[in-house]
Amino acid sequence: MCGLRDKMTKKKKGALEMSFGWLFALVAGAVILFFAIYISTRLINTEKETLSAQTGKEIGILLNPLETSFQSAQTTSITIPVETRINNKCDDTGTFGKQIIQLDQKNLNKWTKTDINVFFENKYIFSTDGIEGKQFYIFSKPFSFPFKVADLFYITSANDIYCFINAPNEIATEINDLNQSNLITKNCSSNAIKVCFSGGNCDINVNDYAGYVEKNGKEMYFAGTEDDYGNALMYAAIFSNYDIYECQLKRLMLRERELSLLYASNELITETRGCDYNIGGNLNELSDLAAKLNSSEELKIMKVQVDIINEENSARKCKLW
Amino acid sequence: MKKDKHGQLKIQQMTFMLIAVTFLFILVGLFFLSIRLYNVKQTATTLEQQNAMLLVSKLANSPEFSCGNAFGTSRTNCLDFDKLMALWNRIDNYSDFWGVAKIEVRKIYPDESTLCDNFNYPNCGDIKILDKNVNTQPAVSNFVSLCRKDTNRNEIYDKCELALLMISSESKK
Repeated sequence: MCGLRDKMTKKKKGALEMSFGWLFALVAGAVILFFAIYISTRLINTEKETLSAQTGKEIGILLNPLETSFQSAQTTSITIPVETRINNKCDDTGTFGKQIIQLDQKNLNKWTKTDINVFFENKYIFSTDGIEGKQFYIFSKPFSFPFKVADLFYITSANDIYCFINAPNEIATEINDLNQSNLITKNCSSNAIKVCFSGGNCDINVNDYAGYVEKNGKEMYFAGTEDDYGNALMYAAIFSNYDIYECQLKRLMLRERELSLLYASNELITETRGCDYNIGGNLNELSDLAAKLNSSEELKIMKVQVDIINEENSARKCKLW
Repeated sequence: MKKDKHGQLKIQQMTFMLIAVTFLFILVGLFFLSIRLYNVKQTATTLEQQNAMLLVSKLANSPEFSCGNAFGTSRTNCLDFDKLMALWNRIDNYSDFWGVAKIEVRKIYPDESTLCDNFNYPNCGDIKILDKNVNTQPAVSNFVSLCRKDTNRNEIYDKCELALLMISSESKK
């Protein structure tokens, strides 16, 4: 009896020892595996975010050569190896506001969202939010009001075809000269985004006379000087959505404010060398108007001041711009 | 008692082993991360430098710098010296605008190395428009014409000189 009890106890002890060792190894193994998988996942995500940030920054840098000097418009295309969604965001706070680019890329047929925002203070990109594709077209035009304020960049996906119907001659010529395959002026396909200049049932309607573009039931106003007749802002309204257009316009006006003050200081410097002093007061007023602009509709009021200043500058002995 | 001690010893062995393995993984991970971080920093520096290289050829045409039509017809790579002085006085607002650490314009003919300020302008030859006081990459430069209005016996004329526009990006390393 006694021997049997001893054997039983030994068996039980042995079983306990084995199971504890196994249990310990299993728990430790599970913890190590969990951490290994967790760290790998984090690393993959970080890698994706790094790549997204890098591509975003590269897109911004690639816009530099598109800054215009004499040209009235320039175009280029970029191709990204994977399907990409460019999220165009805009922040109108601060001295110049910010152009924010955020990219999502497709992996295994799924969009990988990243929260990395790449921002630039000196870029103004007009596009709809979340343009998708592998190939993108970028064209740029200078915006003057009355002096050159900035170059505007219009980004479109090669998948989106814009068809300009009954466009005025100078616009049709400019679009044809750009030779951008997704901007056409005739033979519109049924899936093309129709841009009409003389009314009709179109996706986008341009009222050249009243100076606004109607898109998704909202009106975006544009204006300009005799250099481009407001075409730079007209294209901006065509290629972007309401929120981006209004925000980027506010950013442009922030730069206009600073440039007005810069030219007013410039006038004071040149005055010491015998140049005329006639424009500073109006430039300060323009600066105030630019700072207070709330919506594109107020461009009409600014346009009056801009035309006065433009005439005053043209009449000067020493032109400021 | 002997078996208990033997079991405790085994657990201790395994614990030490696990701690050692964990440390090994952490060290390998840290090594890998430091390499990765270095690469990311290098990529950031390369991108900044690329930005500076592309910017230097186009900055002269941006509205804050360019001559526009102020000196007759429109000119490319022409900087308005008077406007640069006005910009120099308002540079605080532009500190992050171009995404570079340093912007400098140096007159090279006629050679004049005096730093420009409000008192000695226009009798100076070096204008440090932006200087963020950070570690920078070697400057990239572009030849430009530096123009301003000048007078001779009450007659105003355009005076243009040869200058070098230099841009340095921040070094992230």
